[in-house]
Amino acid sequence: MPIPLRPFGHTDQKISCVGLGGHHLGDFATYGEAERVVHDAVDAGIHFFDNCWEYHNGKSEDWLGRALAGRRDKVFLMTKVCTHGRDASLAMRMLEESLRRLKTDHLDLWQVHGVGFGNDPELAYRKGGVLEALEQAKRDGKVRFVGFTGHKDPEVHLRMVQMGFPFDAVQMPLNVFDASFRSFEAMVLPELVRRGIAPLGMKPCAGKADAIKQGLVTGPEMLRYAMSLPVATTICGIDSRAILDQVVQVASHFEPMAAEEADALRAKCKVPAGDGRYELYKVSLAFDNPEARRAHSFPVDPKQKEVSEEEKQIMGAP
Amino acid sequence: MTTRRDVLRFAGASAALAGCGRGRASGTDGRIERDVAGAASSPAPRTAPVPRRTLGQTGASVSILGLGGSHLGGMPDDAEAIRVVHTAIDAGINFFDNAWEYHDGHSEEILGRALAGKRDQVFLMTKVCTHGRGADVALAQLEDSLRRLGTDHLDLWQVHECVYDNDPALHYAAGGVLDALARAKQQGKVRFVGFTGHKDPKIHLEMLQRGFAFDTAQMPLNAFDAGFRSFERQVVPELVRRRMGVIGMKSLGGQGQPVRQGAVAPEEAIRYAMSIPGVSVTVSGVDSMEVLEQNLAIARGFTPMPEAERQALRARLAEAAGDGHFELYKTTTYYDGKVGREQHGYPPHENLPL
Repeated sequence: MPIPLRPFGHTDQKISCVGLGGHHLGDFATYGEAERVVHDAVDAGIHFFDNCWEYHNGKSEDWLGRALAGRRDKVFLMTKVCTHGRDASLAMRMLEESLRRLKTDHLDLWQVHGVGFGNDPELAYRKGGVLEALEQAKRDGKVRFVGFTGHKDPEVHLRMVQMGFPFDAVQMPLNVFDASFRSFEAMVLPELVRRGIAPLGMKPCAGKADAIKQGLVTGPEMLRYAMSLPVATTICGIDSRAILDQVVQVASHFEPMAAEEADALRAKCKVPAGDGRYELYKVSLAFDNPEARRAHSFPVDPKQKEVSEEEKQIMGAP
Repeated sequence: MTTRRDVLRFAGASAALAGCGRGRASGTDGRIERDVAGAASSPAPRTAPVPRRTLGQTGASVSILGLGGSHLGGMPDDAEAIRVVHTAIDAGINFFDNAWEYHDGHSEEILGRALAGKRDQVFLMTKVCTHGRGADVALAQLEDSLRRLGTDHLDLWQVHECVYDNDPALHYAAGGVLDALARAKQQGKVRFVGFTGHKDPKIHLEMLQRGFAFDTAQMPLNAFDAGFRSFERQVVPELVRRRMGVIGMKSLGGQGQPVRQGAVAPEEAIRYAMSIPGVSVTVSGVDSMEVLEQNLAIARGFTPMPEAERQALRARLAEAAGDGHFELYKTTTYYDGKVGREQHGYPPHENLPL
């Protein structure tokens, strides 16, 4: 069965109900493995591709660009800009880099990455801030749609939306643990639906899938829960052929979860969700890239992938 | 065993890396405070006593500067730590902070040894570290604390580190830590009770609004806090309304990062914290005699910062405060202790440093 398509907000565009996350793409040991997953995903009907200027210091975009050679027109291509409060001019330079790496002359969706620090909305909306770049790029025909993403705080998302910029899409963590802890589902999703902005879910398995590894819930039920929310797509991190198969299996046979089943799953996860242990992206810096941390003067973690890879680039491989 | 001190060392290195991508922080948090306080000048004579204030409705008289307990257990030389305590008492400091979990009990042991024969001269506080477990665990910890501190009663016993969103619900559960607070008070083992936390004013407010009769609450109070998820704006007025004792901490942002980075001068930072209307005592970590002397100089010379000056300082720091990078205790897991992480199923510091 084909993977269902869903409307992208209030536009005529349709996108596949699951998308392929760009960060995990850079986690593959070799380009060849990443390429195979991209090709298999496209063949299976997944055509929403997530990426980001700062993932693996550009490697994720490089690899996706190579893998999409000859397939660009079959996909809905998104990447993110990583000003983290800095100027529109920097954003435009990042856009040119992203286009070059992705080997294309336009993006389908360009989003402000990692909105989550308390002052991010004010920094984005200020004169000369990143939102001016979004408008400019759209005017120039370099991007079709624009949005923003973040994994930290629904109040920050809400403020970003309510300050009024006409975003086409907004991306956020949506999963059964989020339902009971600083909840994007409860606070942000209804506002997007009301405004006709395309909601893009991510982290359907709550980041590192700890709850699945511990046997509390299964992967397919977590994915089905997330896909059953009123979202345009659910972006999945795919780091192996087995996970791709699982996502394709769930998506191609997708039936929305019945309300009773969703309620039962939420109830089961409510107590463990309560202190954020399964959503470390909301309570720690673990999921904040060094680019974001540096722009906001936060400490970086030497063990974080982007940092150790950067170190290797400077020092040479050990 | 990972101590809080180890964690702070690691963090210092990270902070340096973040700043310029090379070099290391020059030392521990204690040394940062020394540099910090050394830059300050105070004209107060060495003999002037540290001023005192009333701790809310408890009526107890406490010094405006309190001695933090965590650092005591981390000093390389126990004898030096004991000298710090004695010098502090002689200078008029009577508020002593501690916690059952600091350095796996060593901080309480050192303080207990130092207070031999001096117990009556101080207002002795320690904290209970159930992190969601029951009253029985709390009462067993109380006995540990009393034994280590060499006393038959505490002046103040506080629930430590209310920083997880579900802590209020766990603490208020039937048979939870608050039952132990009430029982210990009834038995005369503690005079007053309270709670502490460094994360989120909402958690403090929930602890209050659920209705237990706390005598005190402890929280970060500094010039950055005022512009970011602010305890000063959201929690202090509520404590004052309830006539509770207000205990401030982290006057220099945790490890003096804002001072090191030139955002604020140490004396104005500490004066700001001590001048917040309603605050009784500002707890400060001290890990050497020099740091103590420098903190004492600021406390002895204390004059409240006028509101206009406080407002100007807040305005000056508002932009830097806005994303919380000077308040890592609010925005990262960096200051969240080992026992709390274990009880809440969080990874240890090694795997989740920030």
